[in-house]
This record gives sequence, structure tokens and C-alpha cells, in this order.
Amino acid sequence: MASNIKGERDVTVAYIGDGGTSIGDFSEALNFAGVFEAPIVFIIQNNQYAISVARHKQTKAETLVQKAVAAGIPGILVDGNDLMAMYAATKDAIDRARQGGGPTLIEAYTYRLGAHTTSDDPTKYREDSEVEKWKPKDPIKRMKAYLISRGVWSEEQDEAFQEEYGEYALEVFRKVEAEGEPKVEDLFKYTYKEMPAHIREQYEEYLEYLEGKVE
Amino acid sequence: MALMNLIGAINHTLDYEMGRDESVVVFGEDVGLEGGVFRATVGLQEKYGAKRCFDTPIAEAAIVGTAVGMAINGLKPVAEIQFSGFAYPAFNQIISHVARMRNRTRGQRNLPLVIRMPHGGGIKALEHHSESLDTLLGHIPGLKVVTPSTPYDAKGLLLSAIRDEDPVIFLEPSKIYRAFRQEVPEDDYTIPLGKAKVLKQGTDVTVVTWGAYVHEVLKADKILQEEGINAEIIDLRTISPIDGETIIDSVQKTGRFVVIHEAAKSFGPGAELIALVNEGAFLYLEAPPTRLAGFDVTIPLPRGEHHYFLDADRMAAGIRKVVRY
Amino acid sequence: MLEFRFPDIGEGIAEGVILNWFVEVGQEVKEGDSLFLVETDKVNAEIPSPASGKIVARFGEVGDTINVGDVVVTIDDGSGVNVEPPQAEPVEEDNAAVVGALESSSQVLATSTEHSVESAEMSKGRVLATPVARKLAKDLGVDITTIQGTGPAGRVMKEDIRRAAEVKPMQAAAAAPVAAELEERIALTTLGKTIARNMAVSKQEIPHAAVMDEFDVTELVKFRQESKELAEREGSKLTYMPFLIKAVALALQEHPLFNASFSAETNEIILKKYYNMGIAVDTPDGLLVPVIKKADQKGLLALGREVQELARKARERTLSLDEIQGGTFTLTNYGAVGALTGIPVIKHPEAAILGIGSITKKPVVNDNDEITIRHILPITLAFDHRFIDGGSAGRFLMRLKAYLQEPLLLLLA
Repeated sequence: MASNIKGERDVTVAYIGDGGTSIGDFSEALNFAGVFEAPIVFIIQNNQYAISVARHKQTKAETLVQKAVAAGIPGILVDGNDLMAMYAATKDAIDRARQGGGPTLIEAYTYRLGAHTTSDDPTKYREDSEVEKWKPKDPIKRMKAYLISRGVWSEEQDEAFQEEYGEYALEVFRKVEAEGEPKVEDLFKYTYKEMPAHIREQYEEYLEYLEGKVE
Repeated sequence: MALMNLIGAINHTLDYEMGRDESVVVFGEDVGLEGGVFRATVGLQEKYGAKRCFDTPIAEAAIVGTAVGMAINGLKPVAEIQFSGFAYPAFNQIISHVARMRNRTRGQRNLPLVIRMPHGGGIKALEHHSESLDTLLGHIPGLKVVTPSTPYDAKGLLLSAIRDEDPVIFLEPSKIYRAFRQEVPEDDYTIPLGKAKVLKQGTDVTVVTWGAYVHEVLKADKILQEEGINAEIIDLRTISPIDGETIIDSVQKTGRFVVIHEAAKSFGPGAELIALVNEGAFLYLEAPPTRLAGFDVTIPLPRGEHHYFLDADRMAAGIRKVVRY
Repeated sequence: MLEFRFPDIGEGIAEGVILNWFVEVGQEVKEGDSLFLVETDKVNAEIPSPASGKIVARFGEVGDTINVGDVVVTIDDGSGVNVEPPQAEPVEEDNAAVVGALESSSQVLATSTEHSVESAEMSKGRVLATPVARKLAKDLGVDITTIQGTGPAGRVMKEDIRRAAEVKPMQAAAAAPVAAELEERIALTTLGKTIARNMAVSKQEIPHAAVMDEFDVTELVKFRQESKELAEREGSKLTYMPFLIKAVALALQEHPLFNASFSAETNEIILKKYYNMGIAVDTPDGLLVPVIKKADQKGLLALGREVQELARKARERTLSLDEIQGGTFTLTNYGAVGALTGIPVIKHPEAAILGIGSITKKPVVNDNDEITIRHILPITLAFDHRFIDGGSAGRFLMRLKAYLQEPLLLLLA
């Protein structure tokens, strides 16, 4: 809406999960976007599970994208594991928004192969057979197979690529780990632009306490 | 009698009361099939069926609103909000309806419902998973707000909460869900709401706290005992309504008062207790009644947590200052 | 060398059963590779390797039970040192919940007990004072606990503190240059300490008020004179005390408030339905108050004998505990040592005390406006003004007077 007000051609893209579409704020957002013809693309990453709650228990509607109808905005259901389909749909929506055509809702239909977090155990709420069915549709595997079939990629390149970026990820991880604790001041200084007196007092008192402890 | 940790006691209590009273129903996000992200409701759907223990979509306002409707229509809903920080979307329902239904209907309709949620910080999680809601909820007339600090208390208080004819918000200190076990009787017992508990009698200073902090305060007490300071320690247990009598009696005896809480200092529950102490024990005071609390900042993420939440040393330092005033 | 221990994976799990091994001894593993599959009663979990390196040893076969904290795998990760993470009691591994990390431990708390705050007994020692007053006391170097407050409910006011502070410098000036030989310090005996403490408590706790009168005991004097010989024959020394005790015991039956005690904590008056009269006895060691039990049921001669007996035991310090406990009312005869009148101190927790002066002959104007010589006994009745008012006191005193001015009533009642 700000882009519209300022007369700029920026488009906003907002992502949400299938579980998230049940919250009231989501409907309000679609509704607002529709009314104000905001240049926004909503993308639902429907991976079929919130944590343990399956998609069909989130809403009785057959698809999530049909919520666009209630908001009076266009919607499109896309194979979320198809990189090129997603690219096409998203580009379409962004172009429309940029040309003043208003919002679009895209539902990217995909699957959560892994667990919600590293301590979640999905076997409690879904069958392994279901997971197995989706494994071949892994978008990265598909893209890799496609690129190799078109001769612009190879297994060797892929392995090297995995190695290099695996290392890079580990490097970043270790670097962040090594940064250790945040500065004490950081806890206090981002609450307001200017630290008000009462927060400054608490900060200084705490610093004094820390110094007293260390002595 | 069985040894249970806090989450086990809650699970056992829900099972016990659902078995005893058909009108009790349990619902929330991931509560049915999975048994809750902390396993508080494990086994309940299997035992009592999906009509009495079920999963909901992600919609906290609807979770609470549904509980309101069910309660009006004769059920005793025990709704779970997955984390205290997720309660904010439900606040409209809580304040506009849960808290005032009895008043609105001049007593013709009451809401015997319970809203339970993991509460407070220290679990090294992301944003919104460490919130303290005691201030916000305590301020609302019509609600009862309760927080246990031990497995034994959890069962007694939760049974009272479920059986109470008024709406109760049951704040479970997630930090100590599994931190220890305790003997919990498997038969029927309740702990009355609105009654604080004196954990340790003392003469030099009254220290009031609740939730996960209770155990940290007990550690601080050990430190202070070495210095010859004999503190009287009170677990408030019910944040609203406050057991003013126990606190005032204690301060009249010791002449000194410290309240320690996780929630941010300004406008917090500590301010309320200090006002009570002024009203009831002004002439007995040897030192200013004091609050030790969280800073007035957004609760930090895991790496900054230990600065925000007080440890035994920092608590002992604060109490010491009051005793030496 | 890294010793990898079975971590606490959450939900209060303390042990698990190995279902499957994914690695062999000698195998190279990368950080994050699955080492083994463990079954617990809540979840089956693949346990990842904490480091990259070579598997040096595996502990436990498929089907074995392992406990949280057991070493399961040893990995040669290139570090020569055994980097065993510190294990503190109780086992507190960061335990993962689906979101967040809970500390999980098998520490056991003490079984719950519910006990309440010690009652206001303790708060009796507290001085009532505003913070401003306390600060003033501190600044002026005055011990606030020694000040008698004149404010509401005994509150110590700023004026009380200032007054106490003014007295101090005078005392200080006087005390300073006094040489040792001009003062003598006497340490109190145990009895002395007890008496001092009891007197202080009586005066602090009980607001004293008193009514006084002069009893015309001329008839009593005559009666006693006539009975003396008879009494001695019966082995009883008939002083005035037995008469007074009897009169009091009878009057108390009609005025029960004076045979009571007051409970401040519960705001109750506890009426005693038994009559144990305490008799103050002056001994060289201090004041003792032996008690005559069931005085209402004893005749004058019996009372006379008992008074004698108890007084002797008091002076010889051979009174038993039972003989000084259980009093409900006290009589003190300062007339016996020559004082004319007095204002006695109530024996806490009783409600009243009767002070008996000395009998003197006085000119008294009778109903015919004639001057006659009568024996006059000054009596003081001190009472607990919290629950006894002047009216009741006056009436009790008048009843007593009636018994003592017409001693035959003591026999007839």
C-alpha cells in the first residue's frame, strides 16, 4: 500500500504456511489487499502439515487458494515442487501487481519431507509410505535431473558444488558460533530509538552488577 | 503416589479429570494426535476419543472463542494455547468475552473454562516463546490467573482450576516442565486458588515469587543462609486474586519485602504487590519494599536470555541489599 | 578422542533400547551422520554424530538398553585430548522440545508439605513506626525499640523520638565522667530477670486503669478479733487475707469479667470458670505469687492455713511449679509492709489485681452527721481497660465492699 501511496512500482511478496492461513490476520490481510488493490503477491507454502496437524484439518475448503475468492482477488494453485512452474506463476503475479492489477494469491503445493524441527518425530502423525511417495518429487532432485538431461550440469559438478557449499555453510555456522554472546548493550538499545531514562538506569545498574561480580 | 515431573503431573491430571467428569474436553494445536508439543496431552485422544480431545487449526482467537461457547453450553473446556506468546491473537476473546460473560449476563451465564499455556522464559527458543503474561492477564477483572511451581502443586491447582466456576488461565512454567520430579498422589486432592504458600519460614525478609523463579529463589536462599540472612519465602501460586493476607502477615513479621518476577519491571505484578504492602504493612517497614524483575526491553533471544532472567546470585544480591538497608 | 554419551533427547526419557547400528568400528563418519537408532517409550530417534572422524569403539549391541549419559561411541576426531563434556549432578542435558530446549533431569524434589506463616505472635515484638520516623531514630542514634510510642495503637511518632534523643545527651553527660567507684552494677538473678520481664510485658500489653475506695472494715476487724482464738485452736492463723480471698472469690462469681484473660490475636475474652487466687508474697529474693486453687470452695480456716503454708514455702523457695501456676486473679497486700495505698501491676495474662493497703483508724462522718472512729482499709482495683470499663470495675468493687463491710455474708454466701 505504501508503494501505491508513494507512486512507486515496487511489489511486495509475503509468504505463509498452510497452518498460518487459519489465523484471522490472514483473512484480514487478503481482504485489505483486495480492497486497496495493493501490489502484493501472497505465496502459501502448503507443505501439508503445520506441526502435526494435517492440511485437511486446517480448513474444510478443498484448496487454500480458493480463499482468494472470498477476498475477491485472483488465485492460482501451482506445483510447488516445480521450479519453473513457480517461476512462471510468480512472475505473472508480480507483473500484474506492478502494472496496477492488484494482489494475487499463489498456493505452492508441496510436501514437508523432514520434521518440523530437529526434535519432532513425524512418525507420530504420518505414515512413512506417504513420505516415500513424495521423495521423488523433491524439487532439487528434479531440477538436477532436468539440468543434467539438458547437458548443462553433471554429477561431478553437483558433488563438487555440494562439497563447496557444504563447507561454506559449516564455515558460516562456526563463525556465528564463535561470535559468542551478544553485547549487553544490544539487549537494551533496540527497544527505542533513544534509550529512555528508565531503561538506561536498568542497563547501567546491570553493568555495575556484572562488574561487581567479575571483580 | 508416583514420581512425576511437571508435564507428567499435568498429563496425569487431565487424564484423571477427564475420566471423572465427562464434560471436560481438551483441545488446541497439535494437542490430539501428537499429544502436544510438550507432550502435555499425550494419550488423551486415544483414551477419550477425538470428540473430547482434538486438534484445532492455527487460530487462537477461535480456540478461545470456541471454549467460550462450549462453556456456555454446559461443557468444561480446557483449551491449550501452544505458547504464551501465541495468546496475543486470543486477547480480544479473553478480555471482551471470557472475563466479562458472568458480569454481562448478571450471573446467568458463567464460564467454567481453563486456558492453559506454557509460560515464561528460559527454554532457548525463538521470538514469542518466552513471554510473561502475568501482568497483562492479572490486570483483567473476571479472570483467575494461576501458576504452579511444582508437580504436586500443578495437579492440585489444575484440578481446582477445572472445577472452578470462573474462567482460569493456567500458566505452566515451561522452563521447569522436566527439570525435576516429585511425589504426586494419584487420588483426589485440590489446592485452593487464591492461596499463597509459605515455602520456608524466616524472620529477616519476606521474599515473594512464583513459577520457575521459585527454584532459583530457593538457591539464592541457600547463599543468603551462609551469610546469616533468614528469609521467609512465599510462592504466590495464584497471581489473581492475590493472597494479600499471607503476604501482609509475613511482612508485618519481617519488616522487609522483596518480590521477584520474570515479567518486565514497569507496570508489573511486583508494583502491585508493593502497593499492597504499603497499604497493609507501612508502619512495619524497615526498608523500602523492592522488586527484582526483567528489564523493560523485549525478551532477548537464547544467547541473551541469561542477562534478562535473574539467576540465584543476582537474586541474592538484590535481597541482601534490602536486608542491609 | 571424543567419548560420545547417549544424550537426553527429551520428554523425561532416561533410557532407550538400541534398535540398529548404522556405523562400524573403523568407519569414517561426518558430523551429523546417523550413528544408531534408539527406541524409547515415546519416540524412535536416530542419533547423529557430534563430530567427524573415525569410529574407534561402539558400546552396546542391538537389543541392549542404554541409559542417558552412558558412553555409546568413541570417535577419533583428530583432537588428542579427551573432550568429554562436563557432567554435573543431576544429569542436565539440554533437552529438545519440539520448539525450544528444556532442561531435563531426574532430580527429585522433596515431597510437598503445606505449612502456614507463623502467626502474629512474632509481630508483637515489632515497633510501629513510619519509615520517616525510623530514619529519624537512626539519624539521632536512638534505639527505636526502647521508645514508648504515643501515637495511634502505640505508634512511635517523631516527637517521641526527638524527646528520647533529648534525654539521651543529658544521660550521656551524666554518665560520661563517673568513676567506677561511684557506681555499682548488680546483675539480676534468674528470678529477677523473670520479674523484670513479666512486669514489662504486663505494662506493655495491658492498658491499666484503676478504681480506688476506702472500705469501712470495722466489723471485719471485730469479727477477726473474736475469731482469732478459735482459729488458732484449729491451727489456722487468721489474718485478713483469708477474708479478702473469700470475698474476692465470691464477688468474682458475680463479676466474671475480672476472672478472665484477653486474647488480642483472636479478640476474645476468655472467662475462667475456676477461681485460683494468687497471693503476692514479698521474699528476700523478690516477689513471688503462689496460687490458692479453687479458693471459692475453701472455708476461711482452710484459706488461712493455705496462705500461711504458701507464704512459708515462698520464703524458703520451695514452691512447686504447680503452686505458682494457674492463677486467675491476684491479691497483693502492700499494706502489710506499711504502705497506705498503691497502684499494683496486673499479672499477665489476668484481667485484674486487687491492691490491699493498710488498715488505719480514721474519723468518719456517719449518717447522723456524727464523727465516729472507724477502721478504714484503702483498696485499689487495677484492671485491663481493653475490655473492662470503669462502670464494671466500680460495681465489682462495691460488691467486694459489701462482703468486707458485712463479714457475716462471707459465711452465709
